[in-house]
Amino acid sequence: MATSDRRDDRVEPDEPEGGPLERWTQRAMQNPERVYRALFYVVMIFFMVTTLFPFYWLLVLALTPQSRLLQGSFLPQIDLFGAAAEFPLPVAKGFNPAAFVSVFEQVPFHLFMLNSFALAVTTTVIVLVIASLAGYAFGRLDFPGRGALMLGILAISYFPPAAFVIPLFEAFTGNVPITVPFTEIPLFTPPRLLNTPGSMVIPFSALFLPLSIFILTTFYAQIPDGLEDAARVEGTTRIGALFRVIIPLSAPGVATAAILTFIAVYNEYFFSTIMATSFAAGNWSPLVGGILSYQTQYTTQFNLMAAASIVGVLPVVLLVVVAQERIVSGLTAGALKE
Amino acid sequence: MSSEQATGSSRESRRTGPLVTLMRRVENLSDTQYAYLLLSPVFVLLGIVALYPLLRTFELSLFETSINQASQTFVGFDNYVQLFTGEKDRWLPGTSTFLPTSLTFDAMISSALVVTLLFAVVAVSFETIIGLGQALVLDQDFPGRRWVRAAIIIPWAVPIVIQGMIFFLMFHPEIGFLVQPLADLGLLAERNTLNDPASALFIVTVADIWKTSAFMALLILAGLQSIDRNLYDVAKVAGATRWQQFKLITFPLILPTIGIAVLFRTVQAMRIYGLIDAVAGCEVVPSLSCMVVTTFLTRQGTSAAIAFVTAAIIGVAVTAIIYQQYKEGI
Repeated sequence: MATSDRRDDRVEPDEPEGGPLERWTQRAMQNPERVYRALFYVVMIFFMVTTLFPFYWLLVLALTPQSRLLQGSFLPQIDLFGAAAEFPLPVAKGFNPAAFVSVFEQVPFHLFMLNSFALAVTTTVIVLVIASLAGYAFGRLDFPGRGALMLGILAISYFPPAAFVIPLFEAFTGNVPITVPFTEIPLFTPPRLLNTPGSMVIPFSALFLPLSIFILTTFYAQIPDGLEDAARVEGTTRIGALFRVIIPLSAPGVATAAILTFIAVYNEYFFSTIMATSFAAGNWSPLVGGILSYQTQYTTQFNLMAAASIVGVLPVVLLVVVAQERIVSGLTAGALKE
Repeated sequence: MSSEQATGSSRESRRTGPLVTLMRRVENLSDTQYAYLLLSPVFVLLGIVALYPLLRTFELSLFETSINQASQTFVGFDNYVQLFTGEKDRWLPGTSTFLPTSLTFDAMISSALVVTLLFAVVAVSFETIIGLGQALVLDQDFPGRRWVRAAIIIPWAVPIVIQGMIFFLMFHPEIGFLVQPLADLGLLAERNTLNDPASALFIVTVADIWKTSAFMALLILAGLQSIDRNLYDVAKVAGATRWQQFKLITFPLILPTIGIAVLFRTVQAMRIYGLIDAVAGCEVVPSLSCMVVTTFLTRQGTSAAIAFVTAAIIGVAVTAIIYQQYKEGI
């Protein structure tokens, strides 16, 4: 307000003089594009702060020594030209990087993470093989029922895991024979799969298969027919053409599907907590189990919970930074389905 | 490369054996037969993990199972009827109910059905607005755009359990520095914040908005980038302001994309379980998926009925999406 008052006194408004703020408003009056630009940067910085602040908070907690977690405030008092003021940003009360070592000692956190990696890699391989075959059929072949089948797969992918979990859990306990629904006709008794990778990889594969099918369908459909025909003329078999021509030429699409499936499995919560019946690394409990063990067993060691979260989030953060183009294109292709 | 392939395939054709016979069979299939052959693994997997469980869930929901699962009695649609009349509420965790018992706010937020729908509507509304803002930022050209985009996407990639842990640690009354200021504003309970249903629902919603706005932003960004840039040049020549350009060109053209994205996200939001479990617990914030998980070991019939109702509600939204896709032609 002060600036606008002073501007009225000005004799020659074209001559920028006075303080920097004044000069800035002066130019902004003449060129509204500058206001727009400034507004843009304010909004951008706001989004950056709101998305990244929670990670900063984890770091603050992780570095604060256990004994000082509950003492005093995270907002330090600072001396502002004589007047005491509260610093608006939380700061760690001390510096204790040892928490990042304790994380692996209290609970075998590395084993939980290895379980997560093993489950994610296995699921990704299974999904890629099955989705490649399906993507070829949907993307390059014309057959009756194609549209209906794609819509059916799309519909299934929207259903909540809660709608599938009861019968799957029952089947994976391996106690009762599977029967044809609504009859007593027994089919077979499945082996006990609870607390094994199978009980998680099977639901994960089905859950994340549709997204990969849609991504690969889009990519495979873009390969020119001539390339496949040429390979066929040279005597390659049908399946050979798929694996030697179509898939290599769609490498970016395959990579996209692989990255998204890996992240999806690594992030999964529902089946990960149910199919491993306790938070024990020996029961193939993945990352979820490792983090939740801190929440349930070490209820006041907030610094370890924060340190474990930082360790657990690093792989996906790296993946996002390295492969963001692939992630962006894959997510939009999968959800909007072109 | 090509000569290598040629010798490889000529070797293939000279070989005999079951594999080669099989290959020849595959070569002689019609396109339709070949397509269905390629799709058979999908059918098997989705049959085992989706179709069979869906049917079996419906079957189980028609039975009352004793607590040790030793006996099952056929009760028809009794489980559904009792779910809606409130007789099943005593099997649900804490003070949760399926339908609200009265129209007070407290009764509303202990109802699994209301909480699920309320959460989905509120979270998706905010995500759409914030996502649109983020998309408009990312659509600009500026130095460091790549890094800003990575920063905005990162929350989307954070595992649900860590997302839950972050918000658990931000709003835990003993350490969370945000509790006091927000309690002063009347938004949160000062003590036992994470055990207070209203506060916990608020925190869970904020956590979801934090994580999924980015996803919304990416979908809307795809829509933004498909807009013909010439339209803006014409508008500039005609003297349109930035706001007019947004209102008359950008917004109408991305509206269909936003529509699809909102439906898609609503369906996803109605699945909410893991975040609640990690931040507050299912007895504090009841959602439909929560109710299924907390009862399925003890009250299978009830649990199956809730699961099937959840699937049916989502089915309605899915039909809308499918219809949309069908109209556009797949």
